[in-house]
Amino acid sequence: MTMPLLKVDSLTKLFPVQRGLFRKPIEFVHAVDGISFEIGSGQSLGLVGESGCGKSTTGRMLTRLMDATSGQILLADNGNPVDVAHITRDGMRTFRRRVQMIFQDPYESMNPRRTIFDTVAEPLTVQGIGTVTEREEKVADLLRLVGLSPPETFLFRYPHELSGGQRQRIAIARALVINPSFVVADEPTSMLDVSIRISIMDLMLKLGDEFDVSYLYITHDLAVARYMCDRIAVMYLGKIVELAESEELLSNPLHPYTKALLSAVPVPDPSFKRAPVEIKGGIGKAINPPPLCRFIERCPIATDVCHNNDHPPLEDKGGGHYVACYLV
Amino acid sequence: MTDTLAPPSPGVEATLADPLWRVRLRLMRRSLKLNWKLFSANRIGLIGLSIIAIFAAMAIAHPILMATQWSAQIYHPVTGYDAPAVEKLVVEDVTDPLTEIDISTARIQLNPFIDLGDTVSIRSQPAPPTFTGPTPHYLGTDPLGRDVLSQLLYSTRAAFSLGVIAAVVTVFIATAVGSASAYFGGWIDTLLMRFADLILLVPLLPVLIVVSALFNISLPLLGLVIGILSGFGGTAIILKSQALQVKVKPFIDAARIAGGGHVHLIFRHIIPNVLPLSFLYMMFTVTDAISLEATLSFLGLLSIPMSWGIMINVASTQGYLLSGTDYWWLLIPAGLAVSMLAASFFLVGRALDEVVNPRLRHR
Amino acid sequence: MTSNGKPLLEVDGLVMRYQTKRGQVSAIEDVTFTLHHGESLGLVGESGCGKTSVAMSLMGLAADNARYMSGEIRLEGENLLALNEDEMRRRRWKSISMVFQGAMNSWNPVYRVGDQIREAMDLHIQPKLSEAAAKSRMARLFEMVGLNPSMLVRFPHEFSGGMRQRAVIAMALSCDPKLIIADEPTTALDVIVQDQILKELKKIQDQLGMALIYISHDIAVIAEVTDTIGVMYAGKLVEYGSTLEVFHRPRHPYAYLLLSSTPSITGPRRKLAPLEGEPPNLLDPPPGCRFHPRCPFVTDQCRTEDPPFVDIAPGHKVACWNWQQVPVTIGASA
Repeated sequence: MTMPLLKVDSLTKLFPVQRGLFRKPIEFVHAVDGISFEIGSGQSLGLVGESGCGKSTTGRMLTRLMDATSGQILLADNGNPVDVAHITRDGMRTFRRRVQMIFQDPYESMNPRRTIFDTVAEPLTVQGIGTVTEREEKVADLLRLVGLSPPETFLFRYPHELSGGQRQRIAIARALVINPSFVVADEPTSMLDVSIRISIMDLMLKLGDEFDVSYLYITHDLAVARYMCDRIAVMYLGKIVELAESEELLSNPLHPYTKALLSAVPVPDPSFKRAPVEIKGGIGKAINPPPLCRFIERCPIATDVCHNNDHPPLEDKGGGHYVACYLV
Repeated sequence: MTDTLAPPSPGVEATLADPLWRVRLRLMRRSLKLNWKLFSANRIGLIGLSIIAIFAAMAIAHPILMATQWSAQIYHPVTGYDAPAVEKLVVEDVTDPLTEIDISTARIQLNPFIDLGDTVSIRSQPAPPTFTGPTPHYLGTDPLGRDVLSQLLYSTRAAFSLGVIAAVVTVFIATAVGSASAYFGGWIDTLLMRFADLILLVPLLPVLIVVSALFNISLPLLGLVIGILSGFGGTAIILKSQALQVKVKPFIDAARIAGGGHVHLIFRHIIPNVLPLSFLYMMFTVTDAISLEATLSFLGLLSIPMSWGIMINVASTQGYLLSGTDYWWLLIPAGLAVSMLAASFFLVGRALDEVVNPRLRHR
Repeated sequence: MTSNGKPLLEVDGLVMRYQTKRGQVSAIEDVTFTLHHGESLGLVGESGCGKTSVAMSLMGLAADNARYMSGEIRLEGENLLALNEDEMRRRRWKSISMVFQGAMNSWNPVYRVGDQIREAMDLHIQPKLSEAAAKSRMARLFEMVGLNPSMLVRFPHEFSGGMRQRAVIAMALSCDPKLIIADEPTTALDVIVQDQILKELKKIQDQLGMALIYISHDIAVIAEVTDTIGVMYAGKLVEYGSTLEVFHRPRHPYAYLLLSSTPSITGPRRKLAPLEGEPPNLLDPPPGCRFHPRCPFVTDQCRTEDPPFVDIAPGHKVACWNWQQVPVTIGASA
């Protein structure tokens, strides 16, 4: 089997819970707990879950904004896997050319004191790619591609002069300006108005095809993940509980948490009657969790098997539909 | 505390054919223009600025007057001497010290055979303002017969240079310390902040008094000391808290993902967002520096030839401090100059605060 | 839900502008609707469309620079805009109460939640309830919103986000209001918690028979909780009708495009129709119909003449010259 573009293996991030001033932390929040997945070239994976499930932490580890506690992140470089989690200084330079990120907040993700040109050209400038003129042309090209035309009207403006939608287009241009092969998008449309979301999502899909970019699309919204992604992974308290092709996951959810999540999503159709949500309570925090299924406290179908075993492994139940549940 | 800094001015349109540096120049001009507009909408700031302009004109006027109008022998602020002769009536009880003299004083100082009702001619120092004659003294002369106006103008320069040195040093140190402390955190932060605490803990004035008593402190050195103390102390802590707010913004993450190193992040992202606040505190440092200089030279602890503080010091050591209403020209001009210049920088700072901090702006 | 007798709330030709340094922002432009006892109305639109301004006007809590140019807000026949601050304060919470956006963060951290609810009740219920009566009432309220009454003596930080929002709803209900306004009450919450709160809200509304105005940018949520829906765009009400009718046969192009551009987890996976452009600057709204720069059905008339808000079917109003051109099926076929 050939190496996929990105292969994540048992990725874990523990945050110490500070107790006292000098004592060593004895408790850890298991923000991301041994997750594994793959993303092929040009594919997109949606990472869906409630707040605090570890989806953003995963994104930050994949972009090396945060170091992983353990586990591997293998990024294919001409077919050879490079372990991103333990990268060298030189490797970091190449890594920054290949992995980029689009942030949630279009108002805060740009330095208010730098022009659009400076913002979009930043990856080129700091990595010393091209001459000033070449950079200018490249940035202008990108602005045209993201629908900010003519680029001259935007190049030397400041972020605060643009609307949220326009800024998110700038963010897309910045992420794509050095032709990355993998982009992490962390809720890029959740702060935009409904009427603008679709055009931004369409733009990301179109440019993803054109630039042959793989996305990890982090969102809390299953409908958005369905629209954007080939496959969807559902996270719960640091674990991936289900991963499948988008349509398969939505039409045939197997994990009780996915089922609950699906039936809780409001549907824009007043005559549609949703199935009742069967789980109670809210999401907790995985501080030194017991060696049991993470979902056990809220699970409507838990049996003795669940109470006597460790967190179930993520297993293929046929056709690339992975579920972490003993009862499926 | 400011949580959001004012965005810069609107950008400009530019074609790709325009060279980048020219576009940047245009952007800079535009931003200056807009900030001036915001600043000038504030009357307090304009008042402060006009006062500063008047003092600047005074500072420039002194060397010109010395070169053209005033002879050094008479008008030099330190070595000049001119004590006009004044006719005074010898009386028993002095009601007007400008035209009358006590008989016992006159007998001791001038001539033991003087009688009541005589007029004596004495060289008057200090002398009240005179507007006529070959050598008019518009603000009178001091107890050593030196022209007060000349001293006042001469000292303006010293006050300005002291303020500027202190302010520049403060901003430089505070911005560097605050940004580094916020950005790197860890032991660097701990070290710098404990040092800042130490400086805040130490009372500034007594320390300066001891230091100036031990060492020969000149004006530039004093500026440096004030700058270092205020730069490492309170201002650094304020700028650090601002830098901390900038540091957690997603655009810092974005710059890291773009591949930016520490230098790029600090100089391109953190400092530009902290600098407006730095300038604000620069103004307040000037205020502090001017007042401190006046205090120290009033106490006679600075080795400088002349300053507003020294003018008051001379009046004080010669015994005129408590008869200020009679000898107003010895105290009021210098005292007013210190207060006005210190206040004017404070006012400019207040107005800048509104430019820097949009929450204070009127709707 | 049917109604008889006099309406509870009538908003009639309301025009409100914000006075700013750069000019007048036309925030509410000729908004008219009626609400009867026990009805629920959803106001949907993008940020800046005026939906929150309407809510704040109903509560008498509009910003200081708000100016009412014309129109009336009548609660049981009494014009609220004519009341002074003192009279308005007496009606707030008692007649109309509101659950704000992000209200869960408005608890004072140093007081117990129960004491804060008690304070609101003491201020508005005359004569003051006895200690025992107040306690039992608060316990009942907590049960109603799905919280354990033992939580009343806890501090806000001991509540999760969803629980805090439930407590806010309990507080809004504490003085038995006739109308409750919910402005994006679940926006910051996760879907499962949102689902629970929406269910409680609907249940309580049925139980107590009060009227509800639900404000959201999320039309899917509106579809779930309301009988009637008003679609707002750039300060104007552009479509108003029964939720079923508007969702199944939207007649205003904006409502139509909004529905077409909302991704869903049900139904076939379809290409969504993007809504081009951005909402207008309300300092200088476009002439004619405010939606015309973004409208695919635009004609010359739309560019100059503002369409009237007319009945096109019983109880279904639309402000559009070309409502008949709008396709009947939702989708990207436009």
